[in-house]
Amino acid sequence: MDTGMTSTPRGACRGIGHQLTRSVRFLTLAVAIVIVAACGSSSSGPTASAVPGKVGGKLIVDNESGSTWTCQFNPFNPAVNITSIGFVYEPLEFVNILQTNPDGSAKVTPWLATASSWSSDYETLTFTIRSGVMWSDGKPFTANDVVYTFNALKADAALDLNALWASDKGPLTSVALQGTDQVVFTFNSPAQSYFYYVADQTPIIPQHIWGSLDQTKLDSQADTNPVGTGPYLMSNCSQNNIKYLRNPHYWQATPGHPVPQVQEVDYPAFLSNTPANLELAQGQAQWGAQYIPNIQSYYIAKDPAHRHYWFPPTLNVSLFPNLTNPLLSNLAVRQAIAMAINRSQVSQRGESGYEPAANQTGIVLPTYQSWYHKSLDTVTYNPSMAEHVLQAAGFTKNSSGIYQNAQGKPLSFTIKTISGYTDWDASLQVITQELKAVGINVTVQDEDSDPYTTDTQGGNFQLAYGEMPVAGPGPYYELRQLLFSGNIGSTNYSRYSSAQTDALINQYSGATVAQQQQIVQQLSTVMATDIPVIPVTEGVDWYQYDTTSFGGWPTQSDPYAQPPVWAYPDNGVVLTHLYPLG
Amino acid sequence: MRYIARRLGLFLVTLWAALTVNFIIPRVMPGNEATAVLATFRGVNPAALHALEIEFGVNIHQNIVLTYLQYIANCFTGQFGVTAERNPVITEIMGKLPWTLGLVGVTTVLAFAAGTLVGAVSAWRRGGHLDAILPPLLFIVASFPVFFVGLLLIFAFGVTLNWFPLASNYSIGATPSFSLSFIGDVLDHAVLPGAALVIVTAGLWIYSMRNNMISTLAEDYVKMGRAKGLPSWRIMFDYAARNAILPNLTGFAMQLGYVLGGSILIEYTFSYPGLGYLFYTSTTDHDLPLMQALFLFYTFAVLICVLLADLLTAGLDPRTREA
Repeated sequence: MDTGMTSTPRGACRGIGHQLTRSVRFLTLAVAIVIVAACGSSSSGPTASAVPGKVGGKLIVDNESGSTWTCQFNPFNPAVNITSIGFVYEPLEFVNILQTNPDGSAKVTPWLATASSWSSDYETLTFTIRSGVMWSDGKPFTANDVVYTFNALKADAALDLNALWASDKGPLTSVALQGTDQVVFTFNSPAQSYFYYVADQTPIIPQHIWGSLDQTKLDSQADTNPVGTGPYLMSNCSQNNIKYLRNPHYWQATPGHPVPQVQEVDYPAFLSNTPANLELAQGQAQWGAQYIPNIQSYYIAKDPAHRHYWFPPTLNVSLFPNLTNPLLSNLAVRQAIAMAINRSQVSQRGESGYEPAANQTGIVLPTYQSWYHKSLDTVTYNPSMAEHVLQAAGFTKNSSGIYQNAQGKPLSFTIKTISGYTDWDASLQVITQELKAVGINVTVQDEDSDPYTTDTQGGNFQLAYGEMPVAGPGPYYELRQLLFSGNIGSTNYSRYSSAQTDALINQYSGATVAQQQQIVQQLSTVMATDIPVIPVTEGVDWYQYDTTSFGGWPTQSDPYAQPPVWAYPDNGVVLTHLYPLG
Repeated sequence: MRYIARRLGLFLVTLWAALTVNFIIPRVMPGNEATAVLATFRGVNPAALHALEIEFGVNIHQNIVLTYLQYIANCFTGQFGVTAERNPVITEIMGKLPWTLGLVGVTTVLAFAAGTLVGAVSAWRRGGHLDAILPPLLFIVASFPVFFVGLLLIFAFGVTLNWFPLASNYSIGATPSFSLSFIGDVLDHAVLPGAALVIVTAGLWIYSMRNNMISTLAEDYVKMGRAKGLPSWRIMFDYAARNAILPNLTGFAMQLGYVLGGSILIEYTFSYPGLGYLFYTSTTDHDLPLMQALFLFYTFAVLICVLLADLLTAGLDPRTREA
């Protein structure tokens, strides 16, 4: 079915419906765990843009959605929530995964809550709810709306996608009002790693509207006329375009300092990459989340003074050895593979350098720099060492130049990958050559994403190339998905199982930041010594911006939010920072 | 009458078979859209999964016969459930149908009319300039896949000359209305995909019309017409073409049925949001209710058109009625 009109690399399509699973996966990249120990966030409000007073302009968002809009805005429907969270619906606090405090914890900005604090055992979390916020229909927003929202997740399990509630295997046992403006969350075990889902990933909905609907069917509400607290109001929706207008009564606005400052935001539905990229290249859209081949000549060169891109990495793209395979269960073989791959070559030749090289400790750089320790990063490119390791483990070269074990079984494997991800195919070509050079034979096997998911989760592969579905709120989250034995059958593709590692992972949610640093260090050591996974490159967020008519964009030097428009609630943070120029 | 009754009976039996196959196939396929939606979240929340499965109507462990009867009833009342995006399937289909009918339906009619006319004329002037160029050329082009012709057109008229838009059904930001400017915009977007379809399909009509026409021209009544000194256009249209068009007409009725299904490639190439594109995305998303409804829709359309073709033939050609 691929007519070859354009190649569609991974990550190029991350929208609605079409490639639903992939879109969800990328949405959740925004995930950041809050590692703030006993955090009492400051109660100052978020700061917005620099040019005071000026309101105007029409911003066009450019993100291939793969299908037309359904004009539904239910913030709990993963197929449509990227068009409602951030624009219309807001969370309690904003957790920025791209910016850390000096201790490595992610930066938290109060949003609909003014503060939050953990009990010393990390089992009780208390939010103080902001006063003076209005729903877009004029009714006041209160702590009751927050209590209602979380209890709605309990009443309709299909809303509880992150499994917060104990009935859904999460640690949350109750959410209750305390006084008039505080909401207390009670967990049945230390639950720091859930802060992100509670504070950042759950949009707050108005009780006076949702409370009168069938509470067991909230997930199937169309919500065609969303009422939220956010910076924008959904003004008009057709199959091809959603038009948002600024909320004139937004709570962040103060006299003489309007927020948001952009009058209108349009979100067209692009069915494929080509028209979406063209719209950016012609300068009609200003905020892009697109994969653009040859971005320098196709996009930047047409107006280098105003057009920019920034691709922050958030998770690893890795080679997964199936540890139940008798050859791959041999550490020497995995070491040899890890040392045979020249990661920067793969990055340059397979990913045009857009996706940087990964490292064996599993810490995505530069995003999680404060968690990385160079001394642990011991397994690096060294092909002669790779062969040496194989020889030392008793492997000998057969007549076709491939190493084989004493029983004559050659190191010959298939690598499963997802068809249509052309950049991965290119990377795998490089990997194939590099492995061949040290006497390991691999063949790439492309699969549709559905069978690929079934095969990788079920262990029906020898080697697999891919990345985690839900990426990193700090490096811990990705490492947990990769290494926790409870995730065998889902994200632990390699089927790695170690009681020691499990114990480390289980300690994390009740640990201080300093202890968490220790835990992640030890997990990095596991990565480098046991080689359960071989990170090769780092997956990035595609992001382009045009400064001709608007300023206030997130940049590499000011990474105040995850930049692509599909990352929520970060998109709302960006929208409150943008301002019209000229 | 017996002929018509037999055709109707056959139609009903085929429809029932199609409905049943459509019921069985998704149930023996591995995975479902509820797991597809949730596979990407942290862990799989069993409660959420079950709630979604009920909503999508999969894996609900109820009596299979009951489910089957419910399904048949739903098919006749148009209740196909919701898509993975939780949009009613019928809304989704009805939203896309006008675009496909408009683009592919109109071009099929155009291709048929143009092809038949050219075929008739070139057979009449056998060996003339028209006959020497158009039929062989278009017949060669007809063997190209439609997306290939589409890509060539995009490259030539969209990218290089920049005369027409590359994709979509109307300009970004345009508001649908019955204003002249909007209709113009829609036509502007339909030119390239429409042209690709006409180019690829017209050749076959020309070919079959020309061949039928040539054999008809050898008939005695045509010679009779000439002998009578009738004007040549009258012989051409009233004597020859009128008889030669019979197989083309029934072919056309059947072709209309394939319009819906055949639109996938062209809509994909031009990112045209019609039924074909919807079908494509429903497959890649593993969106079972949508896929099922579309399959049914296509089957139904083809069956109806085959039935119409049968009835049309019966009306036009008395000999078939005896059979």
